[in-house]
Amino acid sequence: MKTFVREPLVHFLLLGAVLFIAYSLVSKPGSSDGPGKITVTQGQIENLVSGFAKAWQRPPTSEELAGLVRDLVREEVYCREAMALGLDKDDTVIRRRLRQKMEFISDDIAAMPEPTDADLNAYLQAHTDRFRAEQTFTFSQVYLDPEKHGENLARDISALLARLNRACGQAEVSALGDSFLMERSFTAAPESEVAKQFGEKFAAKLGELSPGKWEGPVESGYGAHLVFVSERTEGRVPELAEVRDDVRREWANAQRLELNEKFYQELFKRYSVTIESPLVAEVQR
Amino acid sequence: MNKEKTRPMKAKHARKLITSALLCAGLAGSLIWLRVGAQQQMPTDAGTLDKATAEKSFPNKPPYSPYAGRSFPTRPFFGDTHLHTSFSMDAGAFGCRLGPREAYRFARGEEITASNGQPAKLSRPLDFLVVADHSDGFGFFPQLMSGDQELLATPQGRKWYDQIKSGHGAEAAMDIIVSFGQGRMPQGFPLPGTRAYRSAWQATIDAAEEFNDPGHFTAFIGFEWTSNTGGNNLHRNILFRENGAKASLVEPFTTMAPLGSDNPEDLWKWMMATEQKTGSEVLAIAHNGNLSNGRMFPIVEAFGKKIDRGYVETRNKLERLYEVTQTKGTGESHPYLSPNDEFANFETWDKGNLDGSVAKSKDMLEFEYARSALKNGLKLEALLGVNPYKFGLVGSSDAHTGLTAMEEDNFFGKTTPQEPSPERLTKTFINNPKTGVTIMDWEVSASGYAAVWATDNTRAAIFDAMQRRETYATTGPRMTVRFFGGWDFERADATNRMPAAIGYSKGVPMGGDLRDAPTGKSPTFLVAALKDPIGANLDRIQVVKGWLDAKGEVHEQVYDVVWGDADKRKPGANGKLPPVGDTVDVENATWSNTIGDPELITVWKDPNFDSRQRAFYYVRVLEIPTPRWTAYDAKRFAIKALPGTSMKFQERAYTSPIWYTPAN
Repeated sequence: MKTFVREPLVHFLLLGAVLFIAYSLVSKPGSSDGPGKITVTQGQIENLVSGFAKAWQRPPTSEELAGLVRDLVREEVYCREAMALGLDKDDTVIRRRLRQKMEFISDDIAAMPEPTDADLNAYLQAHTDRFRAEQTFTFSQVYLDPEKHGENLARDISALLARLNRACGQAEVSALGDSFLMERSFTAAPESEVAKQFGEKFAAKLGELSPGKWEGPVESGYGAHLVFVSERTEGRVPELAEVRDDVRREWANAQRLELNEKFYQELFKRYSVTIESPLVAEVQR
Repeated sequence: MNKEKTRPMKAKHARKLITSALLCAGLAGSLIWLRVGAQQQMPTDAGTLDKATAEKSFPNKPPYSPYAGRSFPTRPFFGDTHLHTSFSMDAGAFGCRLGPREAYRFARGEEITASNGQPAKLSRPLDFLVVADHSDGFGFFPQLMSGDQELLATPQGRKWYDQIKSGHGAEAAMDIIVSFGQGRMPQGFPLPGTRAYRSAWQATIDAAEEFNDPGHFTAFIGFEWTSNTGGNNLHRNILFRENGAKASLVEPFTTMAPLGSDNPEDLWKWMMATEQKTGSEVLAIAHNGNLSNGRMFPIVEAFGKKIDRGYVETRNKLERLYEVTQTKGTGESHPYLSPNDEFANFETWDKGNLDGSVAKSKDMLEFEYARSALKNGLKLEALLGVNPYKFGLVGSSDAHTGLTAMEEDNFFGKTTPQEPSPERLTKTFINNPKTGVTIMDWEVSASGYAAVWATDNTRAAIFDAMQRRETYATTGPRMTVRFFGGWDFERADATNRMPAAIGYSKGVPMGGDLRDAPTGKSPTFLVAALKDPIGANLDRIQVVKGWLDAKGEVHEQVYDVVWGDADKRKPGANGKLPPVGDTVDVENATWSNTIGDPELITVWKDPNFDSRQRAFYYVRVLEIPTPRWTAYDAKRFAIKALPGTSMKFQERAYTSPIWYTPAN
């Protein structure tokens, strides 16, 4: 990667961009006007027309076009006068954006190479937890509102649990337990989805239950649940083909961050920094 | 410290560079906005398994969606329809450095670094997000930097610079907003049709395409149209139903003449033209009107034109949702408008308009709060045949940080300077010395989210649910709220174990219509709410009714229909339910769920129904009192809040109404 940052191309682009900015600062594109002359070119007019058409879905009338041109001339006059007054100098908003602009350039360089499958596979294997297919649960739950049962809660839970297990998974769960707004049965629900609806603790607990029988109580933010997990698929590391787009996006992002940092480090090397405050430690990076 | 000095460039190398530089210049310019191409493919859930594993533990291929096979939505999807990133000119000026990609990452649950350097993560992922950057000035800063001398040279740029340099960056940002509001943006402001503008819009689209993950996380393409003439906030968020290929056929509508317009009627024309041109439906969500100074919901005229049949029809068709709560306050109702509603005084910002340039007068309130607009909508419907204010309710953040973090104990502020720090308890957000309008940072609300009863987590399903107004607003908590209206709900339906199935089979959900009452019948409602699984218990559910009487007057009434701790809590002689109590320990920013109930459900019948009168009904759910974000800040930063700072409150949800319309 280091060599990449040292690539002549990178330097070309950089210097090109700097000159581009500098060039356009001193010369208005499409015009070679003298100090007291303004020419509105055919190209600029076409630009105005297409801008208008994009916004309004129709071309401007001749009156509207005249207005657009008048506005452009006014803009040009103000700009030249303001430049003459030096109003563009030493502006923090501009400095902040120049930095952002450099970051954009650096971003785009980072985005250029297209990864090979080998790149992506290596990234996938190095970050398996990020791309893991989640474990999923097919389960039913019966809810008990602790407030409704009071001190009988434990007893009612045992009774209900025994009854459910006698029915061997054939129990009509919608008729048991307390009324509850959530669904009774879930099919192949990913762990994160269970966590969204019941909370993380409940979802984690589901992974510990043995499938094929009623278990509980499992606590959620709502109260107590008896749970029957009928199927559980383990989480697994997917094949690249299944998650290629995700891996590519994450790989590109990681590349971008890494290259941006190297890019900055390369630039930083050219400077020696003095900080005139004993309170601030040495700037390392 | 790095000891290496600036190195002279090798001569040979340098010559090559200079001769190539001009050729490169154009290339470099265009590279600035080059982005990774959009990802159009959908990832699949089912995955590919080897045969043995499949036979062992995966006998049936699971359905793509866990909700497949159901015809009705089984859980609400939570999201934010209104989030700004560094692409918004004011957010950028405030110091936001996170773009749309970071915003989507954060919303789907990843930990990222906030602009002020702190790590930030949601307690749990959201289900969808609309990055809605201001269409005016899309690409403002990049254009500034690519050598547009008009922008570099303006007196305003100079002024903002001085402000930022002297440590008043937030003031500069406010001034940018104000200048924009007053139509005083610098010459050379980026406009649709320019390369900078196109690039910024395309980058927004590409980010949404990359992160849209049907079934798991929906990334909508959208923008905010920021009509703000005179500082009066008439903003709208625009959402596209379809993908980037369609959205990129147009560029967003702006407000600056001559390309754009600040008149909503012109926005609607653009929306209709856009639907024609792209084949993608679009919808507009009106911004909380509380800073519009009486202009959000006009009843006589708007922009110098009488409200006519065309206006009401178009608004009814295109503006199906209203943002009732967000960081700049809650706009359900106001104590002045609803003197008998003891919960109306909630997070109201009633001092002036968006920039504080005009102070609020009482007569403006009626035309900028949701409940009064719903009432006036009935009037206009009687007059013109169509109700322009037949909107559903959502909440959203309007954060300018790229971070949709709206929980009280995890609030990342409205703007970058308001990201967590000891200062935000005491600083001023808006200060207009001319009018005396001042809003403190502590008045900013950690609110809200949009809940959508969609059948699946996809752009199409969520968009369609928004179109049918099957939505509700929350001030942050993710409570589940059901609301069905019909003629035949009975008490027993509230004890049924499948309330949703009964609700859909016997009635219409929130956002729906009841018409032509059967003789002798009053509307009945199945109402239910379940607390946030990691949140506070519920105090009560209320039904808010508004109606138009025979004389053409509008009225409202709030009913407590079911409440927590019902065994020991009964309405008093005045008909009012006693407060639920209060377990908040402000000093430690804690509370306990020892009061209230986790779930409330009932069937309610309107006791004062007149079948000849137009009416609407919506539900308000109140949580038990909990600490406000200010209490968490005071505790965590060990500082004292300013006198008068609100430190605790009752968070809530507001559903879309169900409307009753008589036969004639």
